[in-house]
Amino acid sequence: MAKYILKRIAGIFIVLFVVMTAAFFMMRLMPGGILDGVEENLSADMRDLIYAKYDMDKPIWEQYLLFLKGIVTEWDWGVSLKLYVNVSVWDILAERIPITLYLGFLSLLISVPIGIAFGTLAALKKNGIVDHAVSFLVVLFISIPSFVMATGLQYFVAYKWGWFPLIYDDSLPRITTTFLPVLALSFTPIATITRYLRAELSESLNSDYMLLARTKGLTRVQATLRHALRNSLVPVVNVIVPAFISIMGGSLVVESIFGIPGLGGITVRSINVADYSVTLASLIYYTLISLAAILLVDISYGLIDPRIRMGGRKDA
Amino acid sequence: MGETILKVKDLRVNFRAWAGTVQAVRGVNFELKKGETLAIVGESGSGKSVTTKAILGILPSNARITSGEILYDGKDLTKLKEKDFYSIRGKHISLVFQDPLSALNPIQKVGKQICEALRKNEHMTAAEAKKRAVALMEDVGIPEPETKFSQYPFQFSGGMRQRIVIAIALALNPKILICDEPTTALDVTIQSRILDKIKDLKEEHDLSVIFITHDLGVVATVADRVCVMYAGKIVEYGTVDDIFYEPAHPYTWALLSSMPDLDTREKLFSIPGAPPNMMYPPKGDAFAPRNRYAMEIDFEQEPPFFKVSDTHYAATWLLHPKAPKVELPEVLRHRIQRMKEEREGA
Repeated sequence: MAKYILKRIAGIFIVLFVVMTAAFFMMRLMPGGILDGVEENLSADMRDLIYAKYDMDKPIWEQYLLFLKGIVTEWDWGVSLKLYVNVSVWDILAERIPITLYLGFLSLLISVPIGIAFGTLAALKKNGIVDHAVSFLVVLFISIPSFVMATGLQYFVAYKWGWFPLIYDDSLPRITTTFLPVLALSFTPIATITRYLRAELSESLNSDYMLLARTKGLTRVQATLRHALRNSLVPVVNVIVPAFISIMGGSLVVESIFGIPGLGGITVRSINVADYSVTLASLIYYTLISLAAILLVDISYGLIDPRIRMGGRKDA
Repeated sequence: MGETILKVKDLRVNFRAWAGTVQAVRGVNFELKKGETLAIVGESGSGKSVTTKAILGILPSNARITSGEILYDGKDLTKLKEKDFYSIRGKHISLVFQDPLSALNPIQKVGKQICEALRKNEHMTAAEAKKRAVALMEDVGIPEPETKFSQYPFQFSGGMRQRIVIAIALALNPKILICDEPTTALDVTIQSRILDKIKDLKEEHDLSVIFITHDLGVVATVADRVCVMYAGKIVEYGTVDDIFYEPAHPYTWALLSSMPDLDTREKLFSIPGAPPNMMYPPKGDAFAPRNRYAMEIDFEQEPPFFKVSDTHYAATWLLHPKAPKVELPEVLRHRIQRMKEEREGA
């Protein structure tokens, strides 16, 4: 097990390195640069000076090697080039990560139980009116992206009805001011979990072991809870992580819509203004958290499912 | 053989399907006597499993019992509500499944699965239930039951899993054990061991057994009496000897002829055609289109049961006094001859 985890962690570092390299080159090879929009106000000397300060006067591969050297020798990931000039990127990120994580986890915390409840309901009432209603909503919520939801909620609930603040407001309790963005982020994961659990549960409800549970004298409720539901929750763990990752992706745009000072907002802004180092750092962060989440699931999956935990140990 | 413990009267079960109504069971009658093993034989789709599911009240939701009675202990099981079945299943009537690979919950320890019924229904403590479960596992022939108790189904072989399923079925000391093709999914050497085990357990636990199978070899090993089913009806019933040595229904003849034995030299007989679509059950005798002895009346009118002997009845017009005398097929005649010789020799 330890060997497996070490192997996976090594894999994560390789992926991070590849992502970093690809991002580094892609950003810099794109048209435009850090002086877009201000270029004409600067003299040629000024421009050269700025480029030289950030090593941008050198060929791109040399820039890359210098960047790597900075990381290896001083753990120096660079400073913000445009948004918060000369502030270290990790300082910028560290300030913003908590609220983004707060949004993500809160949304997940809401989605998982609601998704499980709806999925169970739909599977138990399969092909009934409840199931059709739930399935209709599932299709709706899976198809509508979170930023559309966010805009809609912002317009109706916040602007028209005035129930919640229109944009993020530091002076209000966090739960009130982030209610709408969290809600907007939750629709898709709820729908994903519902759909998945409905399929899993209706399969295990029809399984032989469910029939055996009933023939051995368990009530329908006992058999459903102890056998069918319990077994179908195991694979659901598998979709929770992709759901979390997609929440993270959704929060990129949703944070901008609600003006939340989180990582998503700054990532989008840094891309827009070509603040290379901030973009790169947040990209690394997103990659890391996604890979870590996947690793976590793979490990926990082994803990939950004995067939995987003991795989290959037949006579254990 | 003692008194009747279970009686099925004119049972009819329909399935609602997309294309229409499938008449899976069309008026089945049989009695299970205390202490006997009754085999129900028939090919796939003849309605044998559906009949047993009706007895246990575990028919799928698109199935409906349209008429008939299942009498057990003074109650008509067809009239019971789901919650009234909770005290019947496991405790009075139990089921052993066809496929032990899928019948056990794959992610629960087998010990827990055996204990579950004991704890929920008998309200035993964990320690009591474990003691009983280990004893049961020993009973069904699982070596080192203490160790195996905390293992998962995937760590067991097919035969061992079937033993676990049997242990679960016997946990609450049922009166009737229904075995739904319990050896079909197992290989032949394991088959005979499981059959022997079921026979032993039947004596030890004072069980009455309904044995569903399509394998006549199995029938010969375990059964006291046999019902032959075709297209949702019983076409012939009698003692094992009646059915094997004096079969009267052409379908039984065909079944017996298509069973290979060690002396089979010629090409194995197979029944021509396919069973009827039970969405549109045929008029007259359902087997008539595949029956080389069919007469005109077979296509017109359903045959009633004719008495062959006190224990032996068959629903075929061939037994009508006016019917022409028909010889058994030659293959079968030889086979019965051989079987009789073997029996005398033994």
